[in-house]
Amino acid sequence: MAPTDYLFVFAQAHEEFRVPELRSISELNGFEIGFSRYVDPGELAEAVKRPFMVLELEDDEHARALAKRCILIKSIYEFYAQGSTYVEVHEENRRVRSRWERYIPDTSFKFTVTGYNHGLSQRQQRNVIESFSYMDFLGKIDMKEPEITLGVFEEYEKDRRPDGQRHTDGEFRQAYFGRLVAEGTARSFIKMFDVKKRDYFGNTSMEAEISLLMANQAQAAPGKLMYDPFIGTGSMAYTTAYFGAYVYGSDIDGRQMRGKAKTPGIIRAAAQYGVANRIMDLCTFDVTHNPWRCGGLFDVIITDPPYGVRAGAKRLGRKKVREDRPLPSPRPNPDEAYIPPTKPYELSALITDLILFSRYLLKPCGLLVFFLPTVTETYEEVDVRTALCEGMELVANSVQGFGSWGRRLVTIRKTTMKCYPAPTFSSAGGEHVPAHKDFREKYFKGFKKESGE
Amino acid sequence: MVRLITHNLLACHVKGCTSNNFPLKFQDVQIELQEADFNPDMITNLLPRLEWGALVDAARLVGDTSLPPEQPEMMDDDLLRKLHHVLLEIHVVEGVMICPNCSHSYPISNGIPNMLLAEHEIG
Repeated sequence: MAPTDYLFVFAQAHEEFRVPELRSISELNGFEIGFSRYVDPGELAEAVKRPFMVLELEDDEHARALAKRCILIKSIYEFYAQGSTYVEVHEENRRVRSRWERYIPDTSFKFTVTGYNHGLSQRQQRNVIESFSYMDFLGKIDMKEPEITLGVFEEYEKDRRPDGQRHTDGEFRQAYFGRLVAEGTARSFIKMFDVKKRDYFGNTSMEAEISLLMANQAQAAPGKLMYDPFIGTGSMAYTTAYFGAYVYGSDIDGRQMRGKAKTPGIIRAAAQYGVANRIMDLCTFDVTHNPWRCGGLFDVIITDPPYGVRAGAKRLGRKKVREDRPLPSPRPNPDEAYIPPTKPYELSALITDLILFSRYLLKPCGLLVFFLPTVTETYEEVDVRTALCEGMELVANSVQGFGSWGRRLVTIRKTTMKCYPAPTFSSAGGEHVPAHKDFREKYFKGFKKESGE
Repeated sequence: MVRLITHNLLACHVKGCTSNNFPLKFQDVQIELQEADFNPDMITNLLPRLEWGALVDAARLVGDTSLPPEQPEMMDDDLLRKLHHVLLEIHVVEGVMICPNCSHSYPISNGIPNMLLAEHEIG
């Protein structure tokens, strides 16, 4: 069966995350999405800046599966027509009569007319609806529970015209018309996972939208086992567990996982979402000295590694070791809680190690999903490519920009079936110096270059 | 937490302790049973990575003898459910895990094991 055109209405945020989220969820559900109107990568990059896109799917069911899970989807319509004027829209709509003529005889319906970046008066809405009367629908108009909803959208360029005046009705960039197939219900998860409403969180907790996007890049689903080696306050665990996965977490700092109460904070927060039972276990250890018995354990490794800014990125070990003095004797007082010395963990070494470690710990075809902070001015794609190792391939790389710096949600797939030995966590720099090297120092210098450069 | 599946995946990682470092021996344990939803796919996915002998021994130590001593060729629904119970529903909330080789002791408190190593143990 030939694929059908669908009109997608997207949220206008996290534009670079839009296509990776769609691809990830369609892959999880075992179907494909056609992007044939946006073959050129430049066209696609421009298209994701706008709220409307026309994509191809095999079936209404696929549209429903996407709308249920992708948080950037507001709604999906079966696509009938678009145009820069209503004359164009009606011309195209008449051409595709075979798509909507089945609803003519006796289907109850309603029309909605929505302006994007411009409010439409009731009068204008009525005029627009009237202009579709040639469709000759004989069924009842039902504003409450119609069998079908026909949606008209007018996309205006920006809030105001270049001269500062409000738009005139009808001076839109593009209008679209279609039949509602699915409302985007996944957007309600954003409120549900709001960090401020959570029973346990900290200043490094990831905001709800982003932890949901990560859970979607991770293709979290029942039967899957995930691991966050820098779990902190558990932000990624709640969303992935909510979608059915079991999650392991570890952190060098047990206090981040526990909080102050007897029941560990992460478990209390997980209970809020009904997923305490899918937190498999939490362990205190340094990932560079980890106790996993073997590799090939996890479907996904999902994490927001410490950048060294709000939380110091540390690993076990001493900063400076004096050759001429012996190390202090271990555990002077066995009854005192022992806090081993730690040293800073430079970010580019951490990232390279994380990718090597994931290759070892992931099952074949497993995914690594993580955030990489970077400096906007000096970032290049090669920064990510040089951190990869054999058998680990880049799937997606989307930036959330904050001006002079940004963080990139990177998805990497383990494509190798080979068994690799456990990594040694001793990455030194390669020839290429990525923008994220010494990120912490750059952050505190405000990303200003050294004088003389 | 600590579930027996986790105990089955952890080995002693003190520098130089590379043989007879698994499984860790439980001591002074306090157990809690917590129900978990049965998902047969989850249990089937965990099977290839399990060390069956170590699992059976750990289960016995905490008072569960439902599993056969040898991993069976075929896993029927009944056995998957028993495995589900042993792997996921028995929680060691307090106690210690001790390495049979180097005797390093990993304490468990409120269900979270502390597996940080001392300075001289990371080399």
